Amino acid sequence: MDRDTRDMLLETASRFFAERAGKDIVNGVEKGVWPADLWKEIEEMGLPLIAVPEEQGGVGGTLADLMALLRVAGEYAVPVPVAETALANLLVAAAGGKPAGGPSTVALGELSFQGNRVSGKVARVPFAGVAERFVSIVTAGGTSTLVVVPREAVAIEDTPSHAGEPYGTVTFDGATPEFSAATPISAERALELAALARTMQMAGAADKVLATATEYCKQRVQFGRPISTFQAIQHMLAELASYVAATIASAESAARDADEGGLEKGGSFSIAAAKTQGSDFAHRIAALSHQSMGAMGFTHEHILHHYTRRLWVWRRDFGSESFWGEKIGESYARAGKDELWPALSESRYAA
Amino acid sequence: MSIPKLEFPPFHLPAEAEALRGEVRAFLKETLPKIQSEDRFASWNTPSPEFSRALGAKGWLGITWPKQYGGAERSFLDRLVVTEELLGNSAPAGSHWVADRQSGPLLLKFGTEQQRQAILPRIVRGECYFSIGMSEPDSGSDLASVRTRAEPVPGGFRVNGTKVWTSGAHRNHYCITLVRTSGQHGDRHKGLSQLLVDLKTPGVTIRPIINLAGRHDWNEVTFSDAFIPEDCLIGNEGDGWLQVTSELAFERSGPERFMQNVYVLRELVRVLGRQPAKRTSAILGRLIARLWTLRQMSTAVAGMMQGGKSPAIEASLVKDLGTIYQQDLPEIARTLAESDATTEDDLADFLDVAQYASMMAPSYTIQGGTTQVLRGIVARGLGLR
Repeated sequence: MDRDTRDMLLETASRFFAERAGKDIVNGVEKGVWPADLWKEIEEMGLPLIAVPEEQGGVGGTLADLMALLRVAGEYAVPVPVAETALANLLVAAAGGKPAGGPSTVALGELSFQGNRVSGKVARVPFAGVAERFVSIVTAGGTSTLVVVPREAVAIEDTPSHAGEPYGTVTFDGATPEFSAATPISAERALELAALARTMQMAGAADKVLATATEYCKQRVQFGRPISTFQAIQHMLAELASYVAATIASAESAARDADEGGLEKGGSFSIAAAKTQGSDFAHRIAALSHQSMGAMGFTHEHILHHYTRRLWVWRRDFGSESFWGEKIGESYARAGKDELWPALSESRYAA
Repeated sequence: MSIPKLEFPPFHLPAEAEALRGEVRAFLKETLPKIQSEDRFASWNTPSPEFSRALGAKGWLGITWPKQYGGAERSFLDRLVVTEELLGNSAPAGSHWVADRQSGPLLLKFGTEQQRQAILPRIVRGECYFSIGMSEPDSGSDLASVRTRAEPVPGGFRVNGTKVWTSGAHRNHYCITLVRTSGQHGDRHKGLSQLLVDLKTPGVTIRPIINLAGRHDWNEVTFSDAFIPEDCLIGNEGDGWLQVTSELAFERSGPERFMQNVYVLRELVRVLGRQPAKRTSAILGRLIARLWTLRQMSTAVAGMMQGGKSPAIEASLVKDLGTIYQQDLPEIARTLAESDATTEDDLADFLDVAQYASMMAPSYTIQGGTTQVLRGIVARGLGLR
């Protein structure tokens, strides 16, 4: 979509999330309350179909549009599977399918697909507890097949994330998919796209953490003055801003590269680097923001943990800094020292 | 929320800049092996007049300046690409560095026509080198407190005072010197001016200040009744503060803030061999991701500047993060090599490299605006002060 349309969509989404996905909703999800109305409205707005072509029943936006939306969703800790469903739908569409409605998720892991049966187990599947269908890609012998497996066909063990979202271990025991098709997207690529989605959510959350901590320090009075007037606090928040900036900049660059390079392979390295960077700094962002807000920010009552806990969870989702860092390090080591700068300056793997 | 949003819009360097990158890379590949350098791993503070002249001959100095002064009138992004390649390939860019980056642009903006004609073409040829005369024994981060006084006398100024940390003064030709031309020490920003000082001027004495690594980069430059002709005043008398702050803006978010010791990363890749252990690869990958991120940030800032914005907070954040990355790098690399270097000889060599890098690292967060000064700028941007 063009720039103006996207900006309008993001503004609308931002206002909508602010009004409808507030603190009580986020806390409710942690207690196991599914916000059905919120989800219904999100579907009515077409958000989970944003990157699905119009002829397949979608909104016709680009990958970049989807990623920009996910940054906004991260900024509000939207506790429903917008990212997961939008990604699942995108994958279904890329395989020529028409996405169904309802919350879905992606189950990315070691699965086999033989005789129209899916088998295997995937741990920490986000929103497994509420997803109506599970989308995965099985790559074997150089060809990739997308499978969509309905909830009824799998066994789910609840393993809520540390942010209180309904993650779970999903076991496919010869499950029959409701849809399967050859896809140009490999399992590895699906993981990259999922990692990219998380980096954008982390960028949004990081931004919110900075804003929250900054506002708090301007209000909070100790020793007769706002603590934001103490240089120790100012420098802490400035340092926090630097990590937030790195998270935002790396995520945005990866989203751009992924979009420009095409759904099948764009921005492969940039995504790995951005997920590594975002995950790496998540800890510092959480640590500094909590330090600046003292005991208040450590309570369940305050919203800061909606964001810091998600940062801790998201850094682990779809590959941590160790996982992606290893891919980068392995490639650059294999290529040798003289390839370091040429590869880095072109945002690509070295070998 | 009322705080300004941090934005780093991804920016692609234009095709002509990328084409230039290829030319610069080819030139460096051919030229660097033939250049004598005092450092095993050179950078922007390693001088080499021979190299600077070679670069000038290619037309890559003063690249953005008007043709009438020998410039190429190319874009600021072309200059960025040249800078990246110099740093990425560890070229000894120290002789021309300040002149090309800071002094030339200052003369272009505020200098007299005579000064521009006399100096800029020589910088472009890689023959004329500059030092920065800002800091004094009692004026570091608090630059407005300078005491060096230039007293108006017939035909010029009589200058008395002392500048310190004056890099390269012992081998450079000129020093743009911040002096007080009127008022008193306590007048702060008022009454300051900048003088174009020929370092051979009688009454100007240059003494080495050796740094902790035993290197002679810095000097103490003493003015004892030194006569500086009036045509060496840069800009207007009393506008020194305004000029200096615009000059400092050149000092923030460029690649020199995170690529000064890129050789450590390159040597680390070498010493770890082609197939390091998984854990080792992961740590190496994290370092590479940090460097990549910094480059994305720096490029985004360049894009914003190209678009006519002045992203001061974003630029300060790049320097803060970049210089701290450069301090972390030798430490992380050292411990990684100690456990995972492929051969003992390689390890011993690398540890020397890393040790040297660690020794130089404190300077990164001091030069060109300390981390604390930068964080003050960012805090102001966040509305905290």
